[in-house]
Amino acid sequence: MSGPSPLERGYRRVLACYPKAFRRESEEEILAVLLATAHEGQRRVRLAESADLLMGAVRMHFGLSRSPRPVLNAVRLMCAGAVLELGALVTVLVTLGSVRSAIVQEFTAAQWHTAMLTQIVPAEAGAPIVAGGWLWLAWANGRGYDWARPAFMALFGLLTIGLLIGLGDALYAPADLIAMAVPWLVGLAAIVLIFSKTASPYYQQEPVQQ
Amino acid sequence: MQEATFLILTALADGSQHGYGIIAEIQEISGGRVRLRAGTLYTALDRLRADGLIGVDREEIVEGRLRRYYRLTPEGTRRLAAEAARLQANARAALSRLKPSGVVT
Repeated sequence: MSGPSPLERGYRRVLACYPKAFRRESEEEILAVLLATAHEGQRRVRLAESADLLMGAVRMHFGLSRSPRPVLNAVRLMCAGAVLELGALVTVLVTLGSVRSAIVQEFTAAQWHTAMLTQIVPAEAGAPIVAGGWLWLAWANGRGYDWARPAFMALFGLLTIGLLIGLGDALYAPADLIAMAVPWLVGLAAIVLIFSKTASPYYQQEPVQQ
Repeated sequence: MQEATFLILTALADGSQHGYGIIAEIQEISGGRVRLRAGTLYTALDRLRADGLIGVDREEIVEGRLRRYYRLTPEGTRRLAAEAARLQANARAALSRLKPSGVVT
């Protein structure tokens, strides 16, 4: 008796990215559709098929298949915010040399060392954590958890404090401030969307469980 | 309503269909222009089920594989009818305004 075909095994590998509950209910059904729509003699999962299925898996994990349009857009912005946060981290690292040259007259070596240890290093070390926070709250908002909106407000509060500190600090180059302001603006847009009239009822329902 | 949603509801308007059947129907309705992929289809079906516009009609096992049939709910039928009427009114208005230009007859 022959086992599953290489194509079926390939589809199953991609479908493994879907949430467990969805797979339990729909894996066999979606697999049947995939096999029925496969091309004659096809042996491998095509790139476009993989991309489509992976996008579907992400949407299911984030609860996006069921969220209203403003929440969907807010989640997209939050994912973008995570990327921009890492972009800000890279920008600060890249401009560090020019900032050091610019303020060499004002800072002694010891002062620079202290500023690095107390401000730049914690900010840089915290950036991946903040990026993780963006993604985590994107997931929570996509699923409609009622705590997700206040939690995102708290993250936005931290971003605001960070930006205000950056504005009053000589340690950041103009490029750094722009790189910090962009995620802040993205966060602001996300807040407007998740607190919109259309989005609010979504957070009062039972959260998406998949 | 997004085009994919409209086409899925339209594919179910005259009877229940399984996943592959919906894809084939949509291809026919759109004159081959739209070919939904499985990932897109099942994301949309999940949403439509959650919104109460479609439901599961029945399940069958064909050649050892699960085949689930979907049908329009009364709410789905109402929403599709409203959207079709809206599109028809818009298309009528566009065509009547294009008439003087001679692009359409």
